[in-house]
Amino acid sequence: MTVLILTSEEDVTADMVVAALHGTGTPVLRLDPADLPGKAVLSADYAHGDFDGHLSVNGHVLSMGGLRSIWVRRPGEPAAHAADPSPWLTAETRQALYGMLHSAAARWMNHPRNADQARLKPWQLRVAHLSGFAVPPTVFTTAPRLAREFVEEYREVVVKSASGPPPDDPQVALPTTLIGPDADFAAVAAGPALLQRYVHKRADIRLTCVGTRLFAARKIAEPGQVDGRYGDTGHAWQPVPVPDRIGKSVHEYVTLAGLAYAAFDFAEDEDGIWWFLECNQGGQFGFVELETGQPIAAEVALWLAQHRADRRSR
Amino acid sequence: MQPFTLKYAFPKGICQAVTPYHFDPAQQLNVLPNGRPAVSDPDLLLAVGTTTSTAGSATHFDD
Ligand SMILES: Nc1ncnc2c1ncn2[C@@H]1O[C@H](COP(=O)(O)OP(=O)(O)O)[C@@H](O)[C@H]1O
Ligand SMILES: [Mg+2]
Repeated sequence: MTVLILTSEEDVTADMVVAALHGTGTPVLRLDPADLPGKAVLSADYAHGDFDGHLSVNGHVLSMGGLRSIWVRRPGEPAAHAADPSPWLTAETRQALYGMLHSAAARWMNHPRNADQARLKPWQLRVAHLSGFAVPPTVFTTAPRLAREFVEEYREVVVKSASGPPPDDPQVALPTTLIGPDADFAAVAAGPALLQRYVHKRADIRLTCVGTRLFAARKIAEPGQVDGRYGDTGHAWQPVPVPDRIGKSVHEYVTLAGLAYAAFDFAEDEDGIWWFLECNQGGQFGFVELETGQPIAAEVALWLAQHRADRRSR
Repeated sequence: MQPFTLKYAFPKGICQAVTPYHFDPAQQLNVLPNGRPAVSDPDLLLAVGTTTSTAGSATHFDD
């Protein structure tokens, strides 16, 4: 039984898992949907009331009957590397590939349906509430007046994007930033603004959840620091134990969201409370593993290689 | 009018990290010039920054 990893070739975080699977002798096929059609070949037949399908790339072959699990890591757009790419070719190729994969009886990390929903930041805040996390007051609005009132009420407020930086401009960074009371609130009418009370934090927390295993890491923040990813403060990620209450809420969250894998961001305040910021369903763990030595890749490999059915993977 | 959130964007600076490894189709992972897997050199992976959560490609915002 084979593990399928959907990701780009340059993804060295996936390499960590591929190496772990090699180490345990688990067959693996690594495919970038961008290489289909072309370098990769697909065939699925739906005949005589039955279904079978095959995928091959670089001399490696996978039959749908032998597919154990699928890790959706960082797949490219289907057909992105095709000789004549087009939105239509991408749509057709997506149908062929994902239609075939959904027809197979495999476990997903994470199931695309749940992944799509889990990417919605406002929904994340709601699920976080229901799971018992502390969530900073937040507003997502296109009404300039409401944005201004929110800032007047909470005074120290950050703005962040819900979907990341503009995808058509890879040179643009869009970190979480503190805004002042004199911000140009009229512009809120031109695009929804996600505003959140600033958490006076002494550390950033990154908690990675693989199946039921949790790995938490902590990085000390400088006073007044906002986005922990920008500006090197000289502090490194260190492993920390997961408080019981947090562990319970994480399990609640991933169960509600149907996620087999998730990477949570928290801000730890001066009283030691972990404030929920977001949950990345496909969050990067390479830097955490490399800095803390936590065996996250091995745990992902273990989950993918397991036989056990997991209600969160369907 | 520019959307509110984009007023806080700034240029990242051209980042041309040269990755001293390449994909090996047989092993299905990246290897160093000496043929060893890139993951056997954690210091190098940290230095090139390809495993950090700001290294996301344009199509991925799940960091
Ligand atoms: N309300 C907040 N208070 C303090 N710091 C924050 C707050 N929201 C975000 N940050 C900082 O900014 C970083 C990025 O914000 P986050 O909510 O994780 O969004 P994303 O990673 O999608 O840009 C966080 O990891 C944290 O360091
Ligand atoms: Mg984040």
